[in-house]
Amino acid sequence: MPDLLELAGVSASYGRIQALSGVSLSVPEGSIVALLGSNGAGKTTTLNTISRLVPVQSGSIRFDGKAVESMASHKVVEGGVVQVPEGREVFRDMSVRENLEMGAYRRKDAATVRADFDRVLDYFPKLRDRLQQRAGTLSGGEQQMLLIGRALMARPRLLLLDEPSLGLSPVLVQQIFGIIDRLNKDGLTILLVEQNAAVALSTSSYAYILENGEMALQGASDQLRRDDSVRRTYLGH
Amino acid sequence: MSDKTATVIPASDTERPRLAAPEKMPVTQIALLAFVAAALVVLPFVVTGYVLYIANLLLVFIVLCLGLHLVIGETGQFALAHAAFYGIGIYSSGLAGNAFGWPFPLSMLLAGVVAGAVGVVIGTVALRMRDIYLALATFAFGEAMQWVFLNWDQVTGGPNGLRISPARLGDLEILTDRQAYPVVVFVTLLMIALTIVISRSRVGRSFRAVRESDVAAMAMGIPVRRAKITAFGLSAFYAGVAGSMFATFSTYIHPDSLGFQTTILALTMVVVGGLGSITGAVGGAIVFGLISEFLRQTPSYQEIIYGLILIVFMMYAPRGLFAFIRDQMGRITRG
Repeated sequence: MPDLLELAGVSASYGRIQALSGVSLSVPEGSIVALLGSNGAGKTTTLNTISRLVPVQSGSIRFDGKAVESMASHKVVEGGVVQVPEGREVFRDMSVRENLEMGAYRRKDAATVRADFDRVLDYFPKLRDRLQQRAGTLSGGEQQMLLIGRALMARPRLLLLDEPSLGLSPVLVQQIFGIIDRLNKDGLTILLVEQNAAVALSTSSYAYILENGEMALQGASDQLRRDDSVRRTYLGH
Repeated sequence: MSDKTATVIPASDTERPRLAAPEKMPVTQIALLAFVAAALVVLPFVVTGYVLYIANLLLVFIVLCLGLHLVIGETGQFALAHAAFYGIGIYSSGLAGNAFGWPFPLSMLLAGVVAGAVGVVIGTVALRMRDIYLALATFAFGEAMQWVFLNWDQVTGGPNGLRISPARLGDLEILTDRQAYPVVVFVTLLMIALTIVISRSRVGRSFRAVRESDVAAMAMGIPVRRAKITAFGLSAFYAGVAGSMFATFSTYIHPDSLGFQTTILALTMVVVGGLGSITGAVGGAIVFGLISEFLRQTPSYQEIIYGLILIVFMMYAPRGLFAFIRDQMGRITRG
């Protein structure tokens, strides 16, 4: 499979604090790639450089063979790279329906938007019953579903998922990852950022581990799962 | 980037829910609108010129509040320079009439465009900041503009104020409040309609998205900075038009009335009416405008009472007068 996304030597900083130094990774089309690491390792920053929310200091980012590192963030979304931000960033005062509609903000193909709306609700039947409800009143799991649904409304070719398991019960985590798996089987390429290494490694095919803004380790996910140092540091056994 | 689109989501033939459901208007809102419309038509036949002057002033405040509604209520950016843009509107349209004898519809447009353009320039700088810093930066701009109004003698007449010659259109001259009233009403209705159109458009949705979450808005491909600057520029445009409305029935303007108090007055109106709804902005302007007119008898207490009203509303009716009334009525009917 050709690489849909390729980062080569990407560095980024917040003021004087170096957040990423020389990060390289690639995401083959049709795969789920996991990006792991502890708090503050630079996982979210990596996603933010891809979606152009954080400027790239040096290095290159290519999506579908085209350089993105100096594009405006809304152009990146139009190109098909859609981020699901961490931490329940739903539009709280809008209804579930309006949230989903916001996902299609940059699209002009009204007919297909309507069809996608239905398909998103097929993935998340729970949301169908809550279309008129204020998004802020949804449970944590439902909000996570809404976030993913909203991102799907933008017709992504690459989904950047930031900590989808955050704050969810094990049952809900399983449900969400079941859907992530289904999305991938249906053809969606996913770059997944997670602290929950166990579940991330069992869903992804390949994984990278960040430490202090640098790539520390990478490999096929089932190999990493059996790696002793990974088990000790990230899997806790 | 590419015309390949993902076919990730399997097709389905289930019933299609309609997208972009237009907001349904609650009954109270329709009733209020009908009442306001009737009052607007009947008013000039039953009241004195002074009352019509007050009515004109309230309509000006409605337009000012609609502008604040767009930038604060819809987009969530606390901009505190409204009086400055209002002043820019008054002086631009006044000067267009005084010096060049422009017909008033043209000077109104000029007032809006000049204020809007200044708004876009200021917004481009100020909206790099957020929250309290944005409020302070725009406050500083407002103060600076008042100083400009006071000292730019050649243009504004400085501390002597500026006489505004009567608004004219061909042979028609507006000399009284009664003559100005239909014009002011018409422009107000136009601006209300414009606000509704903006609010329901794609632009309006991007405003609300920015208000609720910068991050999520950006992730959905909304150019956040551009949306903020657009909202700020629009609000300045509204303030400019409001200024030119004032100039149609007013014969004199002094920089004293273009300071922070005027900004705070408009802000209070929007908060009292209910942040984030057009009815709130309009209703707040009317209700609070009337209150402030009564308070004119006791100028020394005016500011204190404004402050008290603002505090009481923040505490007990943070969503505004009309949402408060609706809630209470709902509670009564539910028993």
